[in-house]
Amino acid sequence: MTPVAVMVGANRIVPAAGIIHPLGNTDLSPDEEKALRRRIVERALEALSADVAQPTVFAAP
Amino acid sequence: MRLTLEWSDVGEIRAAATTRFSESALEIDVDGLGAQLAEDSRLERVRIDLVHPGEPCRIGRVFDVFAPRAKVEGGPDFPGILGALDRAGSGRTRALAGVAVVVTDQEARSPATLALIDMSGPGAALTEFARCHHVVVSAWPAANAGRSEYLAATRLAGLKAAVHLARASADRAPDRVEVFDLPPPTRVPAALQHLPRVAYVFQIHSHQRPTGIDEGILYGDPVRRMLPTLVHPNEVLDGAVVRGFMGRNSTTHAIQNHRVIRALFAQHGQALWFAGVVLTVAQATEPERVRSAAMAAGLVADVLGADGAIFTKIGGGAPHVDMAQAAAWCEALGIKTTLVVEDMSTDGSSEGMLLFNFPGLDALVNVGGSQESLALPAVSRVVGADDLLPAFQGPLSTTYSSVCGAIEQTGASRLVAVVQ
Amino acid sequence: MVRVVCFVNQFFGQLGGEDKAGVEPDAVSGAVGAARAVQQALGDAGSVVATLRCGDNYAAEQPEAAIARMVALVAGHQPDLLVAGPAFQAGRYGVACGELCAAVQNQLGIPAVTGMHEENPGADLYRRQVYIVRTGADSARMLDEARRIVALGLKLVRREAIGSPASDGYFPRGITRNTPVAETAAERATAMLLAKLSGRAVTSEVPLPTFAAVPAPPRVGDMRRATIALVTDGGLVPRGNPDNIEPLAATRFGAYEIAGLAELDPARYDNVHRGYDTTYVKQDPHRLVPVDVARELERAGAVGKLHEVVYSTTGVATTLAHSQRMGREIALKLKAADVTGVILTST
Repeated sequence: MTPVAVMVGANRIVPAAGIIHPLGNTDLSPDEEKALRRRIVERALEALSADVAQPTVFAAP
Repeated sequence: MRLTLEWSDVGEIRAAATTRFSESALEIDVDGLGAQLAEDSRLERVRIDLVHPGEPCRIGRVFDVFAPRAKVEGGPDFPGILGALDRAGSGRTRALAGVAVVVTDQEARSPATLALIDMSGPGAALTEFARCHHVVVSAWPAANAGRSEYLAATRLAGLKAAVHLARASADRAPDRVEVFDLPPPTRVPAALQHLPRVAYVFQIHSHQRPTGIDEGILYGDPVRRMLPTLVHPNEVLDGAVVRGFMGRNSTTHAIQNHRVIRALFAQHGQALWFAGVVLTVAQATEPERVRSAAMAAGLVADVLGADGAIFTKIGGGAPHVDMAQAAAWCEALGIKTTLVVEDMSTDGSSEGMLLFNFPGLDALVNVGGSQESLALPAVSRVVGADDLLPAFQGPLSTTYSSVCGAIEQTGASRLVAVVQ
Repeated sequence: MVRVVCFVNQFFGQLGGEDKAGVEPDAVSGAVGAARAVQQALGDAGSVVATLRCGDNYAAEQPEAAIARMVALVAGHQPDLLVAGPAFQAGRYGVACGELCAAVQNQLGIPAVTGMHEENPGADLYRRQVYIVRTGADSARMLDEARRIVALGLKLVRREAIGSPASDGYFPRGITRNTPVAETAAERATAMLLAKLSGRAVTSEVPLPTFAAVPAPPRVGDMRRATIALVTDGGLVPRGNPDNIEPLAATRFGAYEIAGLAELDPARYDNVHRGYDTTYVKQDPHRLVPVDVARELERAGAVGKLHEVVYSTTGVATTLAHSQRMGREIALKLKAADVTGVILTST
């Protein structure tokens, strides 16, 4: 739903892993899931630490 | 591909010893049909009620509605779901007007999400379903039937009933005949090559709720992770596509009588060349959504070579955005688009109508706002929802989304949300 | 015979110009000044029983007193309809017209109608609450404008269906109403596409939304000293949903303590969101609110502190108004707790 986030004016946007499990993935093992979650959260912290002037999508590394 | 629909107009329905036509009345062997449908081991009990337009009657727990159709030539009925797997869309199919099959969901724990049909009063004015007779099939799950199995069995019962009714017309002369004849998009006669080419992008399912294994949608396939694909419009009109188990503001009946496809056929060869139908599903993750949008746009632009496309969706907000992304991609490729959307606001404010604002998507048709409140009066007869009595008898304070057929996402309905 | 009370300012009430802009409200019998155009437009259908007048400055500087006195004057005449203005481009006058119409509607239950130019600030301020007829910039065609205002006013009195903004000439009120239409959406869409393909103008049935840009807050300077909060609109609630957060069209959010918790125990949480399949986030709430990973990052020093409260609501069919309000309320609480950054998980 990133287009909606951009439209309503959210300035720092990190795409997550899906509507029904934004910070998880049931195809992965619990450890892999947690690693995925950590990567997304770390990306979010990067986004919070970055200068932005307008809605910016911080895509997965 | 050439499909002939041979229509019989039904003016009256009544229970009788055998299912047959008597003038324009359809007599139905309700007991025999019920017994036949109850043979499905996933169902425990089947009840059939007959309901007529104008009655102060409310049909409740509506799960889906089916148009009676039976193939007489050109393959089996509803291939992949009822009939053997084969192609749909050619030959001759018998069709009944004036009567439909309604199946109810007797198991849903929150029946508020299911639809109703009022056969008279203000609710009736909102839907075409109030103007036809209904054979209402209510079935209860067998003890060991899971939810998905029950819904699959219920839907199958509806399809069987639909075929049973239409088959009764096989030997009589049809009242009217419609021919849907469309060559492949590559074979345009020279004289018609100047016509604008129009495609229809048909979103047939949304993965907000993943499909069950027995939840066939396209030739019986549950379309999990389906990538955009092409079909001939006749296939949609002739039973290749049915609605899944998620029923918000759409019915299989509307797909069988697909109004966008029919409208494009009506103009085909005159104002436009009907270039084809792209089927999509609304995806659940952003990368899948982008892939689907890109491929759908590619099919429209580079395979069908369309100049314009009409889009519809099924479901709620995420499919709404999914459709818009595909359309925006088409616009970026120079294809003009028109989208059929729903008014998404929940407080009647015009700011809440749309969830997206993509450049170029300036031609929107809306099918109304399902969250707008609606008051329905008390009725004297309730069918399909005995367990919801006495409250369900009314008066009811509900919303437009509860009236089956009032807001129909493939464009069959006649309500529009006007900004005032 | 419809009883009408008119409201005009000092100029259109023939009291004077700017020099009389401070006059306090009064009422005179019958139609005076611009109200005579309203009477003419009414013809035999109605009678202007009184004309209220108020100076623009008095109305602008003492709005509460002015409105209170004028509402009382209107009540005293027991009209069926209030017609205010038209105010054209006069800003103080337009605002007073809108305010008075809104007050009379709300407090007296009497239908009201006014008219002004689209650039009049009163139009944007009051068009959602009051029927405001679109007029020209000045009184050059006063009678014409009066006719259109009266026509709409009479419909309100008679409780007749009001047409679209375009057909009845008023500013869109931003309300949507389901209306029967002869052609199916499919037919309208086909016609619309054909028009678009041939380059003809198309009138979309949905206005495109515009959202005000939100100035981006400056970046978090030193993440290792920052307090980061987790917020979600994915419907996480403690088991039992003690705050009764609605599964649809939420108006409430919850504040849930996570102090001392390294993880969220799925047995203690539930999810009420109706807009997606919540099976997976119920199995493991971290798939929605990443307390486990955030705690690890806190322990590793990558983040100064994980805020002790998680804020949660359901973001399905939530109105824009409630979303904005809840966002503001949560933000104020977070600011008061010295939180510098938020990770909001949205489904």
